[in-house]
Amino acid sequence: MSALDPDIAGQLAEDLPPAVFRRIIATFEVDLARLTAELEVCAATGDKAGYLRAAHSLVGTAAAVGAKRLEFEARLAMNPAQSELPTSLLPRLSAESRAALAALHNLTKA
Amino acid sequence: MSEPRGRILLVEDTPTQAEVAKALLVDLGHEVRHAETGTRGLAMALDWLPDAILVDLQLPDFSGFELMRKLRAEGSEAACIVITANASVNTAVEAMREGAMDFIVKPYGRARLKVTLDNALEKRALKAELTAVKQQLNRGRFFGFVGGSPAMQAVYRTIESVAPSRANVFVTGESGTGKELVADAIHKASPRARGPFVALNCAAIPRDLLESEIFGHVKGAFTGATDNRAGAAKQAEGGTFFLDEIGEMPLEMQVKLLRFLQTGSFQPVGAARPEKADVRIVSATNRDPLAEVEAGRFREDLYYRLYVVPIELPPLRERGDDVLVIARHFLAQFSKEEGRRFRGFSREAEAAVIAYPWPGNVRQLQNAMRNVVVLHDADMVEVAMLPPMLLRGARPVGSVSSTPAPNPVAAPREAPPQAVHWEPQALPASPSPPPAPSPPAIEPLAAMEKRMILAALDQTGQDVPRAAALLEVNPSTIYRKLAAWRAAH
Repeated sequence: MSALDPDIAGQLAEDLPPAVFRRIIATFEVDLARLTAELEVCAATGDKAGYLRAAHSLVGTAAAVGAKRLEFEARLAMNPAQSELPTSLLPRLSAESRAALAALHNLTKA
Repeated sequence: MSEPRGRILLVEDTPTQAEVAKALLVDLGHEVRHAETGTRGLAMALDWLPDAILVDLQLPDFSGFELMRKLRAEGSEAACIVITANASVNTAVEAMREGAMDFIVKPYGRARLKVTLDNALEKRALKAELTAVKQQLNRGRFFGFVGGSPAMQAVYRTIESVAPSRANVFVTGESGTGKELVADAIHKASPRARGPFVALNCAAIPRDLLESEIFGHVKGAFTGATDNRAGAAKQAEGGTFFLDEIGEMPLEMQVKLLRFLQTGSFQPVGAARPEKADVRIVSATNRDPLAEVEAGRFREDLYYRLYVVPIELPPLRERGDDVLVIARHFLAQFSKEEGRRFRGFSREAEAAVIAYPWPGNVRQLQNAMRNVVVLHDADMVEVAMLPPMLLRGARPVGSVSSTPAPNPVAAPREAPPQAVHWEPQALPASPSPPPAPSPPAIEPLAAMEKRMILAALDQTGQDVPRAAALLEVNPSTIYRKLAAWRAAH
């Protein structure tokens, strides 16, 4: 399954001027770094509320650019009922973040 | 470059989402501003007055719903569109209940955003148009006027239409209908609003002083002219010159006014050279101007110069519900001024106010309300507090009463008009016939004259020209007497 939803990411790349699309990717990259760092700190300190808040923001961030696999993992993290530990979830989140970024960059070259 | 389609405020705290939304909005041709918090969003909405606000529900300081509540409380008319990651029916219902015009689920594409915004902006434009039309059709107030009757709406519309032009306006209407208010409204709604508004009552000035009052004089022009003095025309330079009771202007003065209207120049009394003044003329009379022309009392050429845009003010008796609206307005105003408790009228008092024909129009109603407030204090105006003429179903000035007036002073000549004193009287439940008139007591002529004049003024709602007509004297006689009595005080 592709890291990106073509209806969202592909449409953005198609509709917007390249410079604007690149600016969105840059913003996304900064957001990813900030939010994944927040998740890690919250997981390490046991700050569950902060963890859920950061996961919620990550869901919105991923959805905005159509990073559907990352959004899926972030939704798991923001679900207070889920039992998976951050130690197993966070590495998958990081991997999906990298995949989404790479896929977005690929769109700029297309 | 084309004009932006709409002013859109985006309230969104997540940078990536904000960046995407901004890019799409700009791409759709909108002017966009962005706030990251609810507090900042509220301030920007009130300052920038956007057409639509895209509100994220989860904001760092308070929720998007809370922001919409605050916007509504502040009177914002922007169309709110909720952005939510939660597509549940509950969220949609709550968003609508909180005043959102629509909601959009994340993630959204360009097409979805366009449809949602276009719908919201169109709805908002239609709502604004409807509000504007309603306001125009149902204005309850307009500059100094109170009342929203159809007759007054027509007057308001004419004032609005004529105000921006330079056209002379001729206001007709019975005394007390608000002719000077029309002139004032025209001035305030015109490009001359920053200039002076000068009103001059032609009936209040002795005829030999009228020229000097209008055009001024130079030192030594006549006995007592110790200095150069600018007249009303010059004082109104760049503004509006209101000539009230123009029907009272002597014919020889009408010639000079006509020349001023034709050339824009005039000659102060005693001056060697003409002067110029740029004024817009609004004139008024309570007489039928054409009948005055036909009777030879008003110059036809001047009539056509002044009668460019006529505005006829309806008498109060033809203004339907305005009578009560205006009565309540004055009651509230005077109660506040006099420290009284009045909050309204009893049903019987309302019926009496509505039934009375108000021959002295708004001015008479104003005086009646002042009388009630000054002489009484209660929560409600009861029927017994109203001036007696209202309770007797009094007829307007000029009508012939079938019963003799109880007060000989109030019935000076021929057909006795209504009693003119408004002191409250304890009225019997069913009025008994008035007592037979007794011969008038003899008193000094000056005292009698004063009583007669005051009676005539009371009778006509303090309308000097009308009182003068009743007494068959010139209005300036009454003004002069009033001034003398005030000076004697």
